[in-house]
Amino acid sequence: MEPPTSSRDPVAAPDDRRWTKQRLYVICQAGGWSFFLAIQLIFLQLFATGSDREQGMIGAAFQGVAVGLLLTHFARRWFDWRGWKELGWRALIPRILGMAALLAAVWVVVCYGIHYGVLGHPFPAKYHPLALVAASLINGIVLMAGWQFIYFFYHLFDRYNRLRIEQLRLVASVKDAELRALKSQINPHFIFNSLNSLRGLIDENPGRAREAVTQLANLLRYSLQSGQLETVPLEDELNTVNDYLALEQVRHEERLRVRLDIAPEAPGVSIPPMLVQTLVENAVKYGIAPRREGGEIAIVARCERDRLRLQVINPGTLAGGGGSTGVGLRNAADRLRLLFGAQASLSLREDPPGRVVAEVLVPLRVASRGPGSGDDGRRAGPEQPAATLSP
Amino acid sequence: MNALLIDDERLARNELRRLLAKHPAITIVGEAANADEARARIAELRPGLIFLDVQMPGDDGFALLESLEPPLPQVIFTTAYDEFAVKAFTCNALDYLLKPVDPARLAAALERLESRPESGQAPLRLAPEDKVFVREGERCWFVEVKSIRLMESEGNYTRVHFGDAQPQLFRSLNAMEGRLDPRAFFRANRRQIINLSWIDRIEPWFSGGLLVHLKGGLRVELSRRQAQAFREKMSL
Repeated sequence: MEPPTSSRDPVAAPDDRRWTKQRLYVICQAGGWSFFLAIQLIFLQLFATGSDREQGMIGAAFQGVAVGLLLTHFARRWFDWRGWKELGWRALIPRILGMAALLAAVWVVVCYGIHYGVLGHPFPAKYHPLALVAASLINGIVLMAGWQFIYFFYHLFDRYNRLRIEQLRLVASVKDAELRALKSQINPHFIFNSLNSLRGLIDENPGRAREAVTQLANLLRYSLQSGQLETVPLEDELNTVNDYLALEQVRHEERLRVRLDIAPEAPGVSIPPMLVQTLVENAVKYGIAPRREGGEIAIVARCERDRLRLQVINPGTLAGGGGSTGVGLRNAADRLRLLFGAQASLSLREDPPGRVVAEVLVPLRVASRGPGSGDDGRRAGPEQPAATLSP
Repeated sequence: MNALLIDDERLARNELRRLLAKHPAITIVGEAANADEARARIAELRPGLIFLDVQMPGDDGFALLESLEPPLPQVIFTTAYDEFAVKAFTCNALDYLLKPVDPARLAAALERLESRPESGQAPLRLAPEDKVFVREGERCWFVEVKSIRLMESEGNYTRVHFGDAQPQLFRSLNAMEGRLDPRAFFRANRRQIINLSWIDRIEPWFSGGLLVHLKGGLRVELSRRQAQAFREKMSL
């Protein structure tokens, strides 16, 4: 097992990203409004009459840009606060138009207020005042809507990109999990050690040795088949785990004690194959094998309202991990996430100190009997009919 | 040859016992289920050979070897899986057997054992052919005492120069000095012990001291007092 590598984020760190975006915003905002101002000034230069100059049209252009800059700046705060960046086009368009109208109205009122009210420029006589206001309003709406379209277009594109990266990463992790599942179903160290113990057992206890051969065969068969199945009934998995633990007991003898506490409705629940097996292998590797006095491994399964709570408990501590690197656990957690999304979880905790609990939560789904449940009369527990459970 | 079986599994020890029954040259004098038991048995029985499982609860096989007082018995590793065999190999460990043990491989390994006279008790001095076990990170060595050129004190540890490696030994220089043959090794100064058979040439040094060149390029300074002792020793 290699040390866990933190999955590096291909997208820059969140802080970096925020800074980059902030800078981009400042540049766009300054550039955009400067451009707008420049156009206005050029037009004024080309077409303005002397009376326009007297009426302070150049000053008005500066005022208009300053007020627009402020308005859009505060509008951006509002978008952030109301979470508009997370909306789709359909929800956005009416909001953008409404916001554009509102901003344009404020813009016109403030600019006209400053220009004619505060600075006291005379109203131009050649236009009707209402026509002038209406023209300014339409101009403002187009401008503000344009500003927002550019703003949201960027954010939608950005969001789409991030989604795609997330998706690609998920696909990659599926492949990765599949590969790892193929590579290491059962620890080869365990297989060879078991075969060695078996050799020793043949003379000592031929009956037990025959039994152990069957158990090892079951375990290998299950492990090979598990790659083809998405889920198996918990019952099948537990049969395999029982075989595995019986073989470990051949090796560790009285050092390994096992306690099963399975709720009667639990065996029908669907789980990913090799999930419990991985947890139990870990429990033996880190909880039993390194301790001279050995210990007890408990497997507890309980059905709650809408989920199965599965615990594998072993003596030991989490601190240091004794060389544990958690590849197996990460693999199991990946498979859970791929199958059930956020509804499932896998956690490892020390509770109380000196006792490690690996806990899995999976949503209740009743399994249909799959091809992995080859019936050969080895079932340890009583046959459980697949319990009827609400999904 | 007296052998000790070290494995945490009773069945594995039994299986090895059964396999060794076909080899009358090997007498099994005891068994141990972990490193602590093994240390006690080795000190008490002084076996010439140990069969050593790499993975055991508590100290593993390598840690056990590191803690043993030299000279080491000959070692045959037993392991279920290759990853440790590879390590033992780089260790120039005598031999390793993969579990389940193939009787032919066992016979071959036994044939390769060196025939060495066994003494019932720990010798006070290490013979030139005796081995010490050193480990550094993933690498480890069984080093014959005669191939060590120089030992340097580093606190409670001793840096051992041999071949092209200089790993640390888990013992103090003073403890090592007590075990070395004074005819073969010389305490050059507070920090260093040199192997006399590795001396290349000697030149006079400041204020009556000596500078000793060792084969392989190491140089060691002798103070006037040590140089005096050295001259007396060499003229003998």
